[in-house]
Amino acid sequence: MQRRFGDQEVDICIVGAGAAGGVLARDLARAGLKVVVLEAGPFWDPQQDFASDELSMQKLGWQETVLVAGNNPLKMGHNNTGRGVGGGTVHFTGVFLRFHESDFRVYSQDGVADDWPISYADLAPYYDRIEREIAVSGPKHFPWGPFAGPYPYPEREPLSANAVVFRQGCEKLGIKSAVTPLAILSAPFDGRPPCINRGFCNQGCLPNAKFSTLIQHIPQAIAAGAEVLPDCTVTQVEVDEKSRRVTGVIFVHDGTEYRQPAKIVILANFVVQMPRLLLNSATPAFPDGLANSSGMVGKGIMPHSSYDVYAKFPEEIRLYKGTPVLATTQDFYETDHTRGFVRGYTLHAHGARPVAMATGISVGAGTWGPQLRRAMLDFNFYARITQVGEVLPSEKNTVTLADEKDDNGLPLPLVTFGYGDNDLKLIDHAVAKMKEILTAAGGKPEFVIPDTAHLMGGCRMGADPRTSVVDQWGRTHDHPNLYLAGAPIFVTGGGVNPTETVMALAARTADHLIQQARRGL
Amino acid sequence: MATKSHYPHYNVLDAAEDWDPHTRKIVEARLLPLESVEHLTTAETKTLYSVVAALIDDDRSEILDYVVKHFDDTLGKRIGESQRKTGVPPQADLIRRTLSGLGKTARDNYGKPFPELTVDEQHTILGQLERGQIPADGIWMNLPQKEAFTKLLSLTVEAYYSHPKIWSEIGHGGPAYPRGYVRTGPGLVDPWEAQREE
Ligand SMILES: Cc1cc2nc3c(=O)[nH]c(=O)nc-3n(C[C@H](O)[C@H](O)[C@H](O)COP(=O)(O)OP(=O)(O)OC[C@H]3O[C@@H](n4cnc5c(N)ncnc54)[C@H](O)[C@@H]3O)c2cc1C
Ligand code: SF4
Repeated sequence: MQRRFGDQEVDICIVGAGAAGGVLARDLARAGLKVVVLEAGPFWDPQQDFASDELSMQKLGWQETVLVAGNNPLKMGHNNTGRGVGGGTVHFTGVFLRFHESDFRVYSQDGVADDWPISYADLAPYYDRIEREIAVSGPKHFPWGPFAGPYPYPEREPLSANAVVFRQGCEKLGIKSAVTPLAILSAPFDGRPPCINRGFCNQGCLPNAKFSTLIQHIPQAIAAGAEVLPDCTVTQVEVDEKSRRVTGVIFVHDGTEYRQPAKIVILANFVVQMPRLLLNSATPAFPDGLANSSGMVGKGIMPHSSYDVYAKFPEEIRLYKGTPVLATTQDFYETDHTRGFVRGYTLHAHGARPVAMATGISVGAGTWGPQLRRAMLDFNFYARITQVGEVLPSEKNTVTLADEKDDNGLPLPLVTFGYGDNDLKLIDHAVAKMKEILTAAGGKPEFVIPDTAHLMGGCRMGADPRTSVVDQWGRTHDHPNLYLAGAPIFVTGGGVNPTETVMALAARTADHLIQQARRGL
Repeated sequence: MATKSHYPHYNVLDAAEDWDPHTRKIVEARLLPLESVEHLTTAETKTLYSVVAALIDDDRSEILDYVVKHFDDTLGKRIGESQRKTGVPPQADLIRRTLSGLGKTARDNYGKPFPELTVDEQHTILGQLERGQIPADGIWMNLPQKEAFTKLLSLTVEAYYSHPKIWSEIGHGGPAYPRGYVRTGPGLVDPWEAQREE
């Protein structure tokens, strides 16, 4: 394997080239730091590796086996985890929304979960910067939360029929709706063309109309001097037990083990593999794993509840056409005590292709045989809405190590998840709302699919080292030069797609490290 | 519910020449007849054909060939199975044991191999598997039946609905790259898309 820095100590070693890893690599390399990025998966070439096809593009998900347990065992792989340069951004749907102010103060406001050690105002400048940097398309006026628009690029048009009927249903019921802010181009930008409405965002965007760190931040990082090594799985973070400082990482490429020493190590390898790596890096002085004096590594993981409702219409909708998500409401986002639960959710009109719909109504809703075949003959007559619902953190929802081992001899991760009472009440409310909207639009709700999306938490932030893993900058409380970035450091999950917040947090950590580097790493 | 295609004259492959070569290669490979399997045994293959036919209510062999091939490929897959519930055997074991279990239950209950049962009889056994109601002895001991059913169903469905003939039947536009769509609103259809008849 070609390695520019070999066994030399670099300034920064980043593990994982996804949403957070991409932003950090780019910002730190541009600041003149010597950066190496190690990524477990391949360096995708969209033109050669992507296809407009659901089945073959499952490979964009993390397919290595994750053991699952609990009352609501999670669907992993393509459903919530990316693998390869770009991480989850390669096959994400491109919905690009900010958290609301209340999301950072859930305990103060609702008496549950915990507050973040930062507020909306701390992230606002980073949200602004990232939206400009990737030319987010969205409405002139956004009706919910602290950011009222306008977005840097005009909102997407034309809308899909699925988005149109969603908005009609909302309007009939007096629910506000808007064209969804998207990390998808509505006009040319930086040599990339606008979206052509094929709807294959979850299969990797062939024309590069959708942002990913694979096509934007990672190439910029490389241009600024970073080294990005694909197909390199980090298996251990090394630590000097006396000083508690980490010294670098061990990684495996093609069956051979290598070492990358670094002044600062940043793990950006997502919600399951990050706790797994920290736990697998235990030493005699750190028997419970690195960064784990609080015992919180792997605890408090959160998906979003993401139930889907399919309704049949008398006329064709053609769910396969258009960017999957083009219309949204956040009218049910904030706590409303009359509803009997706290926190809330976002609803999106969400397109589907045949495999997703057929799998949903069969595996998800129990339809098979003639019933399935007939329902699918009416594929073009269905509309769909999906929910992004807040799930409160619970210490019972965990990533731990299993007895079973992988090819490198490392224990597999075991992911345990079950909904709490508040989560279930919130889901019931959302499902009823989705049915109402579809009915108001003239459809007949036929299938409700229980599902989850996204993952957050497991290495949460906090001011108190006894109850959290990292501080507000992502620095571990236990090791002065080990940082964690990305979705795992979320304290609560919000009721909205997480990636803009992932990237804003990463940009904030990068600024902090750049300032620190000025004083010497 | 529909009992036949709304688009009897539509063939998604008519547009194949306009697709990007990588996607086209992947999709057209699904049309090839299955000449041999690499991982399934002959007995497993026979049972599997009738199991998937019952699960998706279609017995056209040219389509089932691809579904069975997808199972065969899955049995040889090294990377992993995304998720597996604790207590459930690895997917290759799960699939194999379930197929032989179905064969055994067919012989026990009806005195015939699974493929020779009537469709109703096949549905009865699969329904029991879905609900976890096959007596848990012999080959079924410690075999989680609901998970086994879900595994068979999900592999069947994802392959079946990836077959271009099925896309044509349900009126799916297919890869549509690099062409994309121009007319997307309610009631609007690009000229090359499936046109509804009836
Ligand atoms: C189907 C789907 C749709 C989504 N849609 C949306 C959406 O519309 N809007 C939105 O906001 N969010 C969406 N998301 C979520 C989004 O993808 C994630 O929030 C985001 O990618 C998380 O960023 P991250 O940097 O924490 O991790 P990731 O982007 O997942 O990056 C982690 C990287 O680490 C690598 N890695 C893991 N372990 C190791 C190791 N040991 N050694 C080396 N590398 C390793 C992985 O291969 C991966 O590339 C979607 C996700 C999926 C799966
Ligand atoms: S719908 Fe648009 S953004 Fe999504 S994959 Fe297609 S061209 Fe790319």
